[in-house]
Amino acid sequence: MSTHRRVWYPYASPFDPCPPITAKTYSTPPNLFLGFQPPNLEQFTPMQALRTGTLWKVFYDPWYSPYEAPRDGDHI
Amino acid sequence: MKQLPQEFYATMEQLQAVDFVLVELTLYLDTHPDDYEAINQFNQFAKERKRLKKVIESTYGPLQQYGNSYSGYPWNWNDGPWPWQL
Repeated sequence: MSTHRRVWYPYASPFDPCPPITAKTYSTPPNLFLGFQPPNLEQFTPMQALRTGTLWKVFYDPWYSPYEAPRDGDHI
Repeated sequence: MKQLPQEFYATMEQLQAVDFVLVELTLYLDTHPDDYEAINQFNQFAKERKRLKKVIESTYGPLQQYGNSYSGYPWNWNDGPWPWQL
């Protein structure tokens, strides 16, 4: 659901003592891509804004870890 | 200790939601001083907050001190529950 994640593939040396982690992900929240906020963006209702942590829908990022399934209570 | 009715928590949550919107709009308006609609929205929510505060304080006593809220009789701003006890 959340597309705010990117992945990179670290180099795994044959001499690594432990099994290598092939893919690592990092969070890229929407505010990175927006720059200066344009006016009149679509907004949540006050109660939803309180739950989601932001007033504007475009900035909403539940910031899940890759191992965490998105809960149903989220407002997208 | 008296238990508070359910609608107290409902109205306090509304107040919290309005406060959050006001905080967001304040931060937004700091960088967008000439956004007319946002300023309108901010003023609407400020008015809404005053109304909510009046509703809450008329039944549950003052929320803030030093003149930010009217006092009941007798002097009751230090009655429970405190914000962290809600």
